[in-house]
Amino acid sequence: MNLYEWLDSRLKLKAVERTLLDEPIPGGASWIYVFGSATLFLFLLQAITGMFLAVYYAPTPDHAYDSIQFIEKQVTFGAFVRGLHHWGASAMVVAIGLHMLQVFLYGAYKPPREVMWMVGVVLFLITLGFAFTGYLLPWDQNAYWATQIGINMVGTVPVVGDLAVRVLRGGETLGALTLSRFFAVHVLFLPAALAGLILLHLFILRRVGPAGPWTGGMERRQHSAQAAPPAGDAPRESADRRVRTSETFYPRQVFMDAVVMLGVFAAVAALALAVPFPLADKADPSDTTFVPIPEWYFLFYYQLLKYAHGPLEPLATWVLPSLFFLALLFWPFLDRNPSRRLVKRPLALGAGALFLVMVFALLGISIHDLRALPRVDPAVARGKAVFARFGCAGCHRVHGEGGAVGPDLSFVGDTRSEREWHLRHFRDPQSVSPGSIMPKFPLNEQELGDLTGYMLSLKRPAS
Amino acid sequence: MSGGEERGTELVPGLSSPVGTRRTFFRWVTTLAAGLIGLGLAVPLIGYVISPALKRREQPWVEVGVADDLPVGIPKQLEYVQTIQDGWMASQTHKAVWAVRQADGQVTVFSPICTHLGCGYRWEDADRKFKCPCHGSVYDAEGRVLAGPAPRRLDVLPSKIEHGSLFVVYKEYKAGLSTSVEL
Repeated sequence: MNLYEWLDSRLKLKAVERTLLDEPIPGGASWIYVFGSATLFLFLLQAITGMFLAVYYAPTPDHAYDSIQFIEKQVTFGAFVRGLHHWGASAMVVAIGLHMLQVFLYGAYKPPREVMWMVGVVLFLITLGFAFTGYLLPWDQNAYWATQIGINMVGTVPVVGDLAVRVLRGGETLGALTLSRFFAVHVLFLPAALAGLILLHLFILRRVGPAGPWTGGMERRQHSAQAAPPAGDAPRESADRRVRTSETFYPRQVFMDAVVMLGVFAAVAALALAVPFPLADKADPSDTTFVPIPEWYFLFYYQLLKYAHGPLEPLATWVLPSLFFLALLFWPFLDRNPSRRLVKRPLALGAGALFLVMVFALLGISIHDLRALPRVDPAVARGKAVFARFGCAGCHRVHGEGGAVGPDLSFVGDTRSEREWHLRHFRDPQSVSPGSIMPKFPLNEQELGDLTGYMLSLKRPAS
Repeated sequence: MSGGEERGTELVPGLSSPVGTRRTFFRWVTTLAAGLIGLGLAVPLIGYVISPALKRREQPWVEVGVADDLPVGIPKQLEYVQTIQDGWMASQTHKAVWAVRQADGQVTVFSPICTHLGCGYRWEDADRKFKCPCHGSVYDAEGRVLAGPAPRRLDVLPSKIEHGSLFVVYKEYKAGLSTSVEL
């Protein structure tokens, strides 16, 4: 501690330490206040993992995909670091959602904290900007087509839509200029904006103080001025609630925040290890059959878009989102009810509940629909192409199409379910099926694997 | 941070704050959580950054031709395309090696670079000798030095024959030394 003492004698650090650590927490430390810290932690995790991903990433269409493959397959811990960044993004959306829900339920956006809420809404928008720009960077089919759809939605905005689309793409088409500007925005512009606004958010927090529990609209000054009874109905409230005391930020709230951060890190790390996040095929602008699926946190909106057709479409693509974010931004001025207590805010809670029910209902329908949709494994699709290219259908029949010289393969995945057998059979049919008249085809390893994948996928539908 | 006990007495009036062993407990758990997160990040991230630096680039076996197509005792230049992997970037270069089939069917493959100063040499069919045009080094079909300034015999590349195909690992050696030293 000698160095600290010496630095303190020069820089007056202890005064700063006191200011940072002795912040009063009205009503005492609580596990319900951890979501803001969890969000901040996840932002730092994203920043760190993002910096490390940038070590190997190349933001050009001819190398972006290969560089991510390199990170996934060649770099030690590469898949883990990329997994942390991927799942960290999801976790950040969850943390922000919970943080906003807590602030909403506690009425913490009410005077004097309107500006803190508004800065928070902008921080949320910037986070969505990160999600949108980051999604394109791997340059796989999903990235390319999901971004194509996102940009096209901007194009439905009247008057400025066309210009906005061209600016987003950096030209006529989604290509090299789009990727480099999305990269620059994702790793330079947005982090700078987010870091600045986080500081502003925290600065406002320290100026107005945390809102504390529901027991009345107490302000910080009233607190430190030794429990002077606040105006209005507060004395009655404090009578039937626990005694109101303020506690220092350190050590109990810091301890709770730290424990939650460790839990969040463990959860994100476990997901990164347990759930791999493979790339789809490399982006192919000519393949218009690809149907991209957005990230889960955009699924409810993706589902909403399905219900909006024809003249209703602009409603879903920009009218509703714009109105929603305007309402969210100016919510402290729309909800003028002065009370923070839940029982006195039926209208605000009703609106919030309605919104959440709609979001989760749409999310539920979307997940249900996606599960019903048969997902085609890319290897199976490639195997099908190999099957067609080598003219296998000349001898074999699949679902009524093809010759009858060889066995019908419609359900070969049920009768021959071992991968090894197929691999050996394709290399040398006679080795596993003596007397077979099937010729050896010059298949490379990739084609062998893909064709086998296709064979194994030919199964009776599960009943 | 100073000890908990003293701090308890310095607190802002009107604010409660745990003191004594409770305070120490919170501080320890906080430090432990921060340490675990730091360690959980530092180990993979350090490995992530240094791993390509520690990986030795393995030259692959490349198929250069059919062994039986080579004439016995007469060196033949085999040209092939080699894919060079540079991180995530793959580029292709043309290489050419000299291969001689022996009477017993074994094939010797020579590096195409003269051991003197690194020029490319060629086979003179009439003389049945390898000749380097730069400084006049001369080798026989087995790669032995016959004349000129070459300090050592021609470098032999690792080769093998599988299913009739000749495979080679391309390597480069330092020029001007009396023994083969790989670059």
